[in-house]
Amino acid sequence: MASRIRALYPGTKLIIALAIGISAFIVPTYWFGFAAFGLAVIVAFVCGEGKAYLKLVRNSLLILLIFMFVMRLLFSGGKTIYWQWGYMIISAESIAVSLAFVSGVLALGSFLLLFFMLTPVKDITAALSNAGLPPSGTYVVLSAIQMIPEMRKQSATIMDAQKTRGVETEGKLFTRIKAFVPTLGPLILSSIASTEERVITLESRGFTAPVPKTRLYVVTKRRVDTTIEIIVIVAFVAVIAGRIALSLL
Amino acid sequence: MSRFTDYVKKEFPLLALLLIPVCIAINIVGFQLSQLLRLPIFLDSIGTILAGAIGGPWIGAVTGLLTNCINGIFNPVYFPYALTSIGLGITAGLLSRKGYFGKIWKVAVAAIIISLVSTIISGFITAMVFGGATGNPASVITATLLAAGNNIFTSVFSVQIFQELGDKVLSVLIVFFIIKAMPSRYLSKTKYGPLYISESKNKRARATV
Amino acid sequence: MSFTYATAKDSSVRDIDLTIEQGELCALVGANGSGKTTVCNIIRGFIPRFHTGEMSGQVLINGEDIKETNLGLLALQIGFVFQNPFVQISGSKDTVFEEVAFGLENLGVDVDIIRSRVEETLELIGIQHLRDSNPFDLSGGQKQRVAFASILAMDPPIFVIDEPTSQLDPQGTEDIFEIIKLLKNNGKTILLVEHKMELIAEYADHVVVLDDGALVMSGTTSEVFGSPELATHRVAYPQYAEAALGVRESGVPLARIAVTREEALADLTEAMHS
Repeated sequence: MASRIRALYPGTKLIIALAIGISAFIVPTYWFGFAAFGLAVIVAFVCGEGKAYLKLVRNSLLILLIFMFVMRLLFSGGKTIYWQWGYMIISAESIAVSLAFVSGVLALGSFLLLFFMLTPVKDITAALSNAGLPPSGTYVVLSAIQMIPEMRKQSATIMDAQKTRGVETEGKLFTRIKAFVPTLGPLILSSIASTEERVITLESRGFTAPVPKTRLYVVTKRRVDTTIEIIVIVAFVAVIAGRIALSLL
Repeated sequence: MSRFTDYVKKEFPLLALLLIPVCIAINIVGFQLSQLLRLPIFLDSIGTILAGAIGGPWIGAVTGLLTNCINGIFNPVYFPYALTSIGLGITAGLLSRKGYFGKIWKVAVAAIIISLVSTIISGFITAMVFGGATGNPASVITATLLAAGNNIFTSVFSVQIFQELGDKVLSVLIVFFIIKAMPSRYLSKTKYGPLYISESKNKRARATV
Repeated sequence: MSFTYATAKDSSVRDIDLTIEQGELCALVGANGSGKTTVCNIIRGFIPRFHTGEMSGQVLINGEDIKETNLGLLALQIGFVFQNPFVQISGSKDTVFEEVAFGLENLGVDVDIIRSRVEETLELIGIQHLRDSNPFDLSGGQKQRVAFASILAMDPPIFVIDEPTSQLDPQGTEDIFEIIKLLKNNGKTILLVEHKMELIAEYADHVVVLDDGALVMSGTTSEVFGSPELATHRVAYPQYAEAALGVRESGVPLARIAVTREEALADLTEAMHS
């Protein structure tokens, strides 16, 4: 099951994630969003990434959701007032609004996180290539992804070197700011300088040859993917139609 | 269509193209470094500003967009803020065309303009998409301002402007010093780099021997 | 095939007229700053197209001027390997296999052909065991071997190699010279810039000396390394030649100046028997 989910075409996975996430905003009940989140957690565990997924959600969404809930709760006004102090009002309406909003953001956010967790960047760029992204685009994304950990290692090395030279990384705010520049500065300069030689490398590998390029690593859309996409899109349209119908009643 | 592809090719020559992944990494590592040093400012757009300053608005915009997309992989909150990053890249590029990263007083003006652009776009996104809440403690101040009766935009912008000024002024200064330290041979190959080659440096590019 | 060029790029290199025959390994030596890298860049077309400046003269491959040839397509004719192994990985591939395939992908080669070519090349260079490693995690020497493999996969007949061992340790250096020997045995035409004179004496057919941007000496390894003039151009001798020249200077008549280890041993053995 886990491998079947992971093997889905990236575009298909994205459509599923967006359909569910956006539906959480359209469907009139806030339980949908929370249920969607539950589903995402289950899928994460099925795919063997449960713990890591929860940690990711906690680090990225938790504080935001709490703040969003509290602010919508207190500052949305409303008629059926339960509690009031100055400009802060907790009402039946504000409770409903804040829950709806939080469940929506939670659903969309958690499904997007799930999508990226289950889809390697290599697959995403391969799918984008299929959709027409030029090879330079693929190159830029992939080399950025690889460059980030490399640069981080280099910055750690530079910072250690600076520490032995007496640059302080603890202490007053100004001291810490002063530690930033001599660490990042040389890193930036050397990385930019290396791009000159990288251009030579790319040219030497025929990067600018005016021929259509072939790709060793490809992802292909299967019938199963297309079928799932159609089902999901139809369901999504039904949700929208249902909502419109409801508001007309 | 061919004129468009020609235009694209002109705006994205290989050296400029390579600037993008490097500047994306600078954005992200800069942020990680500032977190490591527990600084109250993010310093996560140095790369975007640098890319725009040297490579022009398109390069800056793409750098900003992709930075947010990559950050968004681990935190989807970054996706809507891609608009801010794009805005920063474009602004830096447009300012650079008039040489705003050359002299210190011009840099000060550039820093203020960039801070304003950042405040306005980010402020709108925070207010409209997230109801004024962000994932960091600044939201508490926003909440306090709301409690005092201000509307959502005033509250958000008031908090945002201070954060942005601190962050962007330092970022722009860093970019200014970086450009100063760059070899003229490299600058001459970039779009706006030649504007910043000082008179005393040799203007004609010399190859290595 | 042969190529000729005469350039006068002011203050970097002047009036260079150089012809290299097909299958020949031509070594380019000279003090730092004498123009060797400039020459390499000119041949590969990076000057004047990437490094701007003024250039006069032309580069002809098999009689054809390469001025208008697309730099990327030129990869099919001229391979280029240079000093720094860290910038010679493309940065967009996460396995060595794909890294070596990168050039072929860019040239639009059929995927099946790519696979077999890459296998062959990995085998030839002896890096099959690295095929699934991330290029970023390799040592300098390994990265340089991957760089050679990536170029060899495109099978260009000409190789321009600019100081490939400067940043490597002795083991890495040896590995690279093994590869160069391999390329030579496969009939490649090679222009090699190097400082390790013993290795040049061993493998080069033709040695060219640059001094301050001008071509000052040209000839076989025996001719160039056996000549006292070499020292005036601030170029080191292979240690065997240096020793032999010293011996000759001190009055002992020598039939020839040995430039390689074998020659030196042969001369010594002969001297001891006479």
